[in-house]
Amino acid sequence: MTDPTTAPARHFPEAPRPGAVDVTPPDSTVLRGGTLSWLLPRRSVLAAALLLPAVVVLTALAVMASSTGMSLSDTLSGLLGTGDPGTVMIVRDFRLPRVFAGLMVGAALGIAGCLTQTLAGNRLATPDLVGVNDGATAAVVAAAAGSTTGMVGAWWLGPIGAVAAAAVVVLCAGGAGSAGYRVLVTGIGVSTFIGAVSDLIMSRENDNTAGGVFLWAVGSLNGRDWAVGTPLALVLLLLVPLALAVGHRLQLLRFDDDVAASLGVDLRRLRAVALALAVALAGTAVGVGGPIAFVALAAPILAQRLAGPTRVPVTGSALTGAALIAAADALGRVAAPVELPVGVVTSVLGGPFLLWVLLRPDRATGKA
Amino acid sequence: MSLAQGGRRRSAGSRPPEHPPPPGRSIHRATTGLLLLLVALVLLSLVIGTGGSPVGRAWDFLLGDPAARADAQIRLAVMDVRLPRTLAALLVGTCLGAAGCLLQAATRNPLAETGLLGVNSGAAFAVVVGLTSFGADSPGALLVWALAGGMAAGAVVLLFAGSGRTAGSPLRLVLAGSALGATFHGCTSYVLLGTSSTFDTYRYWTIGSLAGVEISDLVPLLPLAALGLLTALLCTRPLSALGLGDDGARSLGHHPGRIRLVVTGAVSLLAGCAVAVAGPIAFLGLLAPYAARALTGPRMTAQLVLSALIAADIMLLADILARIVIRPWETPVSVLLAFVGGPLLVWIARSSKLSTAGAEA
Repeated sequence: MTDPTTAPARHFPEAPRPGAVDVTPPDSTVLRGGTLSWLLPRRSVLAAALLLPAVVVLTALAVMASSTGMSLSDTLSGLLGTGDPGTVMIVRDFRLPRVFAGLMVGAALGIAGCLTQTLAGNRLATPDLVGVNDGATAAVVAAAAGSTTGMVGAWWLGPIGAVAAAAVVVLCAGGAGSAGYRVLVTGIGVSTFIGAVSDLIMSRENDNTAGGVFLWAVGSLNGRDWAVGTPLALVLLLLVPLALAVGHRLQLLRFDDDVAASLGVDLRRLRAVALALAVALAGTAVGVGGPIAFVALAAPILAQRLAGPTRVPVTGSALTGAALIAAADALGRVAAPVELPVGVVTSVLGGPFLLWVLLRPDRATGKA
Repeated sequence: MSLAQGGRRRSAGSRPPEHPPPPGRSIHRATTGLLLLLVALVLLSLVIGTGGSPVGRAWDFLLGDPAARADAQIRLAVMDVRLPRTLAALLVGTCLGAAGCLLQAATRNPLAETGLLGVNSGAAFAVVVGLTSFGADSPGALLVWALAGGMAAGAVVLLFAGSGRTAGSPLRLVLAGSALGATFHGCTSYVLLGTSSTFDTYRYWTIGSLAGVEISDLVPLLPLAALGLLTALLCTRPLSALGLGDDGARSLGHHPGRIRLVVTGAVSLLAGCAVAVAGPIAFLGLLAPYAARALTGPRMTAQLVLSALIAADIMLLADILARIVIRPWETPVSVLLAFVGGPLLVWIARSSKLSTAGAEA
């Protein structure tokens, strides 16, 4: 008898046998080319195809949006460098890098939220539960309290604080792979502790420092230029493909450890890797934009709505997150007489938006 | 909740289940222990504090020593300063513990805490509005604003969660709560960004402290808290039925959606009282039910009682520590709560009892 794990794949017939049971999942199409086949999830591909142009349109709007009003032709000429120098400078040096940074922050938050929600099987599980936000805030607060100017420090303090906090969480929980739930609960304990330390520092600072840190802690993209956008892009270029690969495997979390092991997957290691990716992504995003509320929670939920219940919507969450941030950033610049930080817009409008989605039950799944 | 189930299966394998201890007796023992601790903490809370009143003198006052009774300074310290604080800590702790326990059971989500219903952020928004537009700056006025805002937010969340085809489903409650909570939070940030003077008062309110609470502030809250606790106790049976799943509960003649709405109503009442007195302390509502579940397992009434007791104990302990840690100054009670509760939660999460706790999800 041949061991099935070592049997060469060519022993299997290349075309489906007549009368063979069709095992294609209901919402998928199988693409075949010679010996290669690819399972195409129709619904999530359609969702991505709808989301991508939405992101593009929102990006264009975000580049255009300003309190003074800028026409499409002005924006284009600024972009191409043919307009008057002022417009060119605004579009190329201020608006574009900022929108770019926002898109990446949104994508990172969306993916991180998707990974943590899938890991825990809990819609409330966002990266800030494992101490990401509080760790980043504590690092920034400590730096601001230490400096004489009360200025908020460099953006890379955020990811460092976030990763440090998450490392403490994982150490306290006794390993990231053990059980997703234990990590989350430990994370709440640890991040409450770290948050209290920042509170204590802040309550002894003067108004200036407290106000500066508060503005950062609301989440703002103001003044984010290429000096931030370029390293951010490099970090994401490394992390996002990994997250996509891991996200695909996370569908195996529906099985328990023994079944997964028989499929050749070490679920403990998979969980540990997914958690590490979520922390790194969220930490980077928090460092750049501050702890922007709600995107990591809402983007995966909306993406799941689009992609259907059987998928882990990593791509969809990234696109949804990017779209949410781009829209919020643009709105924040035109909606009020003073510029609103993006975090304020995401939380004020994100809430009703999510409710609106909730009030319309998904026809395909019948779930709220 | 696949992970939690996986954890349970593993730990069940490692510990042979042949001779489980009778759960009733350990629950009784835990209840008695927590009650005794509570009494001891109340006494400590009355005798410990600053203000030139030594512990022995306060103790004499409590025992009815005539010389101490005649001392106006000791009388002021014990009766007018420490007694209201002690009562406030008891009220806040009991309310948060009970509310958290109910909410986690109703939403079947062990990560749910009382802040989730939008009560905390609604209260914070109301406080900020009161500060900026209505010149409310006394602790009593802030308390009224916080209570009104918290209850209103809870009511709005309930309205949203209770409408539509899937009215009262756990996911709907949780999502409606976090969605509206985020909205209120954003509105608060918006107002605060414009006015730095408000921000200064707000940042002390939001840290939370029981200092300066007066009996007259607490009295109007008592009937509300009592109503909430009574509803909570009446809800334990239907909630246990919900533990069988919605279909199981229906077959026993319950209406799952309706139960959840009543329960969340009680939760917003209780959490509203707590946030009015002590500011937005969300953490205790998560910690206490977690600890209680580790002790009681799935028994709903025991869970509720123990959760309230544990929260009251922790709250009192944190408030006593807040007075003595950096004498003669006060530490914000929420900071101490986090210092006490954070490691405690980590410890519970690491103990073997977690498997029972997570399985509720």
